[in-house]
Amino acid sequence: MGETKNIRLNRLPAITWYWLNMNEASVDADLEGPVQAQAEAPKGVSFREEKADLFPDQPTGAGKAFNKAAEAAADSVQVWTAAEGVKATDPLRLKYQYKDGDKALNLVNIVAEKDSDMTVVMDYSSAPEASGAAAVQTKFSVGENAVLRLVQIVRVGQKFSFINDLGGRTGSHARVEVIHMVLSGDKVYQGYQIDLAGEKSSLKTDIAYQVSGDGHLDMNYFANHTGRKTECEINVNGVLRDKASKILRATIDLKRGAVGAVGNEKEDVLLMDDGVRNQTIPLILCTEEDVVGNHGATIGRLDESLMFYLESRGLNKEEIYEMMAKARIDATLRMIPDEKTKEEINAYLGGGTEDDRD
Amino acid sequence: MAKEKTYVEDIDRSMYDFRNEEKDEFRIEEGLTPKIILEISKEKNDPEWMRDFRLKSLDIYNKTQFPDWGPSIEGLDMDNIVTYVRPNSKRMAKDWDDVPDEIKDTFERLGIPQAERKSLAGVGAQYDSELVYHNVKDEVAAQGVIYTDIESALRGPYADMIREHFMKLVPPTDHKFAALHGAVWSGGSFVYVPKGVHVDIPLQSYFRLNAKGAGQFEHTLIIVDDDAYLHFIEGCSAPKYNVANLHAGCVELYVGKNSTLRYSTIENWSKNMYNLNTKRARVEEGGKVEWISGSFGSHVSYLYPMSILAGRGARAEFTGVTFAGKGQNLDTGCKMVHSAPDTSSYVSTRSISKDGGISTFRSSVVVNRQAKNSKSSVSCQSLMLDAQSRSDTIPAMDIRTQQADIGHEAKIGRISDDAVFYLMSRGLSEEDARALIVSGFADNVGKELPLEYAVEMNNLIRLEMKGSIG
Repeated sequence: MGETKNIRLNRLPAITWYWLNMNEASVDADLEGPVQAQAEAPKGVSFREEKADLFPDQPTGAGKAFNKAAEAAADSVQVWTAAEGVKATDPLRLKYQYKDGDKALNLVNIVAEKDSDMTVVMDYSSAPEASGAAAVQTKFSVGENAVLRLVQIVRVGQKFSFINDLGGRTGSHARVEVIHMVLSGDKVYQGYQIDLAGEKSSLKTDIAYQVSGDGHLDMNYFANHTGRKTECEINVNGVLRDKASKILRATIDLKRGAVGAVGNEKEDVLLMDDGVRNQTIPLILCTEEDVVGNHGATIGRLDESLMFYLESRGLNKEEIYEMMAKARIDATLRMIPDEKTKEEINAYLGGGTEDDRD
Repeated sequence: MAKEKTYVEDIDRSMYDFRNEEKDEFRIEEGLTPKIILEISKEKNDPEWMRDFRLKSLDIYNKTQFPDWGPSIEGLDMDNIVTYVRPNSKRMAKDWDDVPDEIKDTFERLGIPQAERKSLAGVGAQYDSELVYHNVKDEVAAQGVIYTDIESALRGPYADMIREHFMKLVPPTDHKFAALHGAVWSGGSFVYVPKGVHVDIPLQSYFRLNAKGAGQFEHTLIIVDDDAYLHFIEGCSAPKYNVANLHAGCVELYVGKNSTLRYSTIENWSKNMYNLNTKRARVEEGGKVEWISGSFGSHVSYLYPMSILAGRGARAEFTGVTFAGKGQNLDTGCKMVHSAPDTSSYVSTRSISKDGGISTFRSSVVVNRQAKNSKSSVSCQSLMLDAQSRSDTIPAMDIRTQQADIGHEAKIGRISDDAVFYLMSRGLSEEDARALIVSGFADNVGKELPLEYAVEMNNLIRLEMKGSIG
């Protein structure tokens, strides 16, 4: 990009009252070339570099303005492909390690061809004291009967801002599993638009975050059901501390023609301190009769009866909150289908999981 | 074999859809100019401050953008809307016999005087821009309850109270149609319930817009003093025309300490109506506001009653049902603002969309930092009756204190085939089975209304359901 531009991103698919300040985010971005990702590729997954995005028309969570800016700034796209029928037994690991002063933008395309099966782990980190900004935009196409498990972990320093943007499309009977973890960062923007276009394709998303200090997390997830009998499930678990703030926009759009589609989303937010701010706006949009859409959210303190039980077991209030906060992150951490990544993240979080106590 | 839709002719809404010949005494020219505003002000015999307030509101209106986040209001051309129509009636009557026959007949067909005799403590009836009838039972008046038209109150002993409260909860800067209301408002009711008074039976205002291409801009101001109780019912309807009509009323409710105000609305505007209404309540310590809302009519609705929980322990409940049929885009919901400790809000809504109708549930729950130990629960359920319709839920939550318990759930789905099959196996026709299920779905509102109104609401649902079987 070369110069600082104000970009509006993470816009709701259906906006609401402006006074709530929840319709979209805005970021001053000055992003340049890519950083070199450290890659560990399994057998069967190939790499090539392209001049341009393979999926220029695929919308993402950040939206059109960011897409346009990213397209203008990037001169190459890293493309990872699991060819037809390839079942990769090990994950593709991509590590992005940012330095102080970085202003990096990476574009990644993932192609899971028909009947393939692949796991991709993208780990974004920086030195704790590093300041700067970076963005990674990932787009994918998952073919008929293919499976993509995509794990994206944001753990940049508390002075580092990050945009993790995702968009993709499913073929018939395809399955996509997304795990998003945000463990640190100054201002973090992330989200996706996933088009469930193929009949009986499905999407499962597990998101865990902890935001502390005066950090801000801005999320925009959009499951777009156009195919018949498509399914999506979005589970969000988060912890806010100190003076942190967070907004979750989560949309399930059950479009006309998506007969038999089912969408479920659930958010659970634990507020640890009195200076935090939580904003949640879960949308269900529906133009098809034969569908089911559900949303549930709980925000605030721990349940009184749970507190009473744990206090009667000798724990004090602070210990209980810390324990429950860790449990929320651990619950998603355990879902990561890669032991090596799990261990690294566990070490980063500074402790063992409950499983380690056995 | 693919299931075929049973097509039933559109139903007869003659109960609401009858027109009287327009014999208005005075009708202001179409459009919005300072000259028109001054003419309305002169016609209303406004005090000077109100005239200035109108002009300032017009200025705000001209500087404010139309909303772009809700249903389209492109079909509403303010240059074609008549903002003031005085019916051919003596100024407000206290005796039903003094109301002109044609207008009297209108309200009799709508069942208003019968309801007054049977179940109401007082009635106000507005026809186009003016209240034509207002009455309160002697025993209620003897308790010190004031129920009158707002223009009389502006010049009477309560003038200072009106000035202190008028458009203070909904300032003209709130949004474009609040500004419009501030500029052209006419008619509406003023209610004051003194400290400690419990009004056992409800008061009701009914708004009827007969004039083609006109707007109705009534203002309702209710002040319930401490330790008091009131149930206020609002009804509205209009005949259908082939040009746009506009309703941009404003309701301001002040609920005193430990008082309760229940505000019930069955809205059944005609399907050429743009219903851009604003309702807001401020609730003091230990007080409670209960909104019961049924939205059935209008072409386009923007309706989101707001409750400001200003005192410790204040509570708000919103129970609503919205039924959007052919040609309707009803954007309804509520706003809850928790601004004091120990406050609680409870929202339960049902939306039904059929025959291409669009229903949107839109809400916000804001819990401010000082609102420690606040609780909020929001539940919205939507029913899609066919694949031509649309149903959206857009609930927002903004929580700024750790010491809060917030819960939200939303569900969108269709009528269960199993439930229809079960009812049909018990001898009901498919049409009746579906109507019964939909009535049950909307029962959250019905059970909160006085019996007569619950029956009216169920009839409306039954009416709307006819022709929707598929």
